[in-house]
Amino acid sequence: MAVHALLIDTVRCTGCRGCQVACKQWNKRAAEKTEFFGGPGYQNPADLSKDTWCLVTYNEVRIGDRFEWVFGKKQCMHCLIPGCASACPVGALEKLDSGPVVYHKDKCIGCRYCMLACPFVVPRFEYDSWNPYITKCTMCYDRLQMGEIPACAKTCPTGSVTFGERDALIREAKERIASNPSEYHHHIYGLEEAGGTCVLHISNVPFEELGYITDVPKRPIAARTELAMKSIPAVMVGLAVVLGASYRLRTRAQLRGEDAERPSGTT
Amino acid sequence: MVTERKGAFGIGGAILFVLAGLGISLALYRFATGLGSVTNLNQGYPWGIWIGFDILAGIALAAGGFVVGGLMHMFGGEKYEPLVRPTILTAFLGYLLFIVALLVDLGRPWTIWHMIIMWHHESPMFEVGWCVMLYTTILLVEFLPVVFERFNMTGLYKVWKYSASWIAIALLTLFAIALTQSVPWVIAVAAVLILFQLSVEVGAIYRHPRMPTLLLMAGIIFSTLHQSSLGTLFLMVPHKLHAIWYSPLLPVFFFVSAVATGLAMAIFESILSARFFGRKVETDLLRSVGRFLSWAIICYLGLRGVDLIVRGVGSELLTRTPQCAAFWIEIVVGSLIPLAILLTPELVKSATWLFSASLMVIVGLIVNRVNVAVVGISSKYSVTYYPHWMEIAITVGIVSAGVLVFVFVCRHFPIFSEERSPKGAG
Repeated sequence: MAVHALLIDTVRCTGCRGCQVACKQWNKRAAEKTEFFGGPGYQNPADLSKDTWCLVTYNEVRIGDRFEWVFGKKQCMHCLIPGCASACPVGALEKLDSGPVVYHKDKCIGCRYCMLACPFVVPRFEYDSWNPYITKCTMCYDRLQMGEIPACAKTCPTGSVTFGERDALIREAKERIASNPSEYHHHIYGLEEAGGTCVLHISNVPFEELGYITDVPKRPIAARTELAMKSIPAVMVGLAVVLGASYRLRTRAQLRGEDAERPSGTT
Repeated sequence: MVTERKGAFGIGGAILFVLAGLGISLALYRFATGLGSVTNLNQGYPWGIWIGFDILAGIALAAGGFVVGGLMHMFGGEKYEPLVRPTILTAFLGYLLFIVALLVDLGRPWTIWHMIIMWHHESPMFEVGWCVMLYTTILLVEFLPVVFERFNMTGLYKVWKYSASWIAIALLTLFAIALTQSVPWVIAVAAVLILFQLSVEVGAIYRHPRMPTLLLMAGIIFSTLHQSSLGTLFLMVPHKLHAIWYSPLLPVFFFVSAVATGLAMAIFESILSARFFGRKVETDLLRSVGRFLSWAIICYLGLRGVDLIVRGVGSELLTRTPQCAAFWIEIVVGSLIPLAILLTPELVKSATWLFSASLMVIVGLIVNRVNVAVVGISSKYSVTYYPHWMEIAITVGIVSAGVLVFVFVCRHFPIFSEERSPKGAG
């Protein structure tokens, strides 16, 4: 099955936050009481939360000799090889062949290892509930099953959020950069980050300026534990052989000389 | 039942009861209201002092059960036998306390059984969970003779003696199935174990009169995997854990430092309980444990030194950051000073110095684990984490309850050597 993805183009974004509202409506997330905070001005709320899975960030960026608003989009990046899914001990997080990383809430035990493993700091935990779950964007997996596209892409009036096959979107992103090389920053965020993601971003400014995490390792997070996990059976067999053999050698005197049922004082 | 003994514990016991009571009350409050009401954990720091201290350090402090009750017994011979029961008891209680702490930390602890049926063998956390379950079972089986001896259950003891090895084989094989899901590996693991046990049964390998060897082997294998898997957990965070600690060798460091701590705990507990119960300190025996401890520290220092140099982190160790300071506390207090004490012949003769050295190793280990889980973690999320007083109070409460149970069991069961019946049925 073709891998699907979202392409976010900050150049086309007007900061209307239609995607943020559509996400909340479709996923039935509660409204949040928010406050003004210093820094990014009109951004609201301050960060992703258990009820905000998609957030338009407001960044005042110096371009040439003037300041301009550049809008970023925060959400789950739907990694190709997700650290969260690899971390989860019960398989509550699952990478689907079609692209989305989905969450099976009934499996979750609440260990929060996925939050630690995520290089983009996306999963949110319901700390204020006695029966807490992890929450995050699902790429509107339920809509995809019905042949619809994600709510954020559906609602975007300027074509800043596009849904499609990942390969096609990469070509599209490269074309947009190539056809307007002075406007775009020459980097597709998500092409290689964390081994590649199913949410791709292109922008007119470097991604640090938008508060994106830019030192994400290129190698998939999940690959780091592979060797340790694969060596488990070898350790088991190796230890059993070494311990067994050394015990056999150490006790050869007892075996020869004494009644096995009588405790022995010698070593 | 424990409360009946209140009078016998004196003022220290009374304080422990109060602390344990406070911890339990706060834990109940946490279950009613959620983690947010008693912790400072947040979206950027999902793991805090409970993971660092209760879980990572707690498990390493329980390592005496396999290091002394396992490795030294397997390689070193019978003379370490007086230490086997106390260290197995500590390990068993340590694991039970760890499970309590884990239940407090988990968001939905009533679903913890999901790990038994919802297999995800790629996850280090899955390995941790399975090691906890199966090794706690092994520790229980290792501890059972004490109960049989206490209540004179000779029949059950006989059943135990002949079935314990097969229980161990079953658990190890089950673990191999869950963690590899590969037929050749499962067959390889099972074949080696069954071959060993059959050799014992037919008399080709010496049958130990008291402790089934395969049970100890299972304890060693599960512990080795469990201690190292706690390090594997943090291989998942190359982007968050400070370069001083993030190394591909993290599982190996966790294992070697756990071995050192297991030895230190054996010395620490023997001296402490000897004083507490008015017994004679087994100084000669402890000195040879101390010799193993110095070797373990040398190995650990060597590995970490080479690792820091090869990864080119050496120069970062002289910067003025909290992480750097935390690293030096860990190394100086936990390794360098105790090593100096252990290598000074005049000092190791004294129980007080042995005690101090092992206490420092234990403190250093705790600092190391808290460093890996909390101090060394930097989140891109713009918040920081310091433990809430209630997090600390719950941890203190759990540890206090553990000490009370340990003292209770030591008083009422045959744990220490001279209290055991001369026949030594167990």
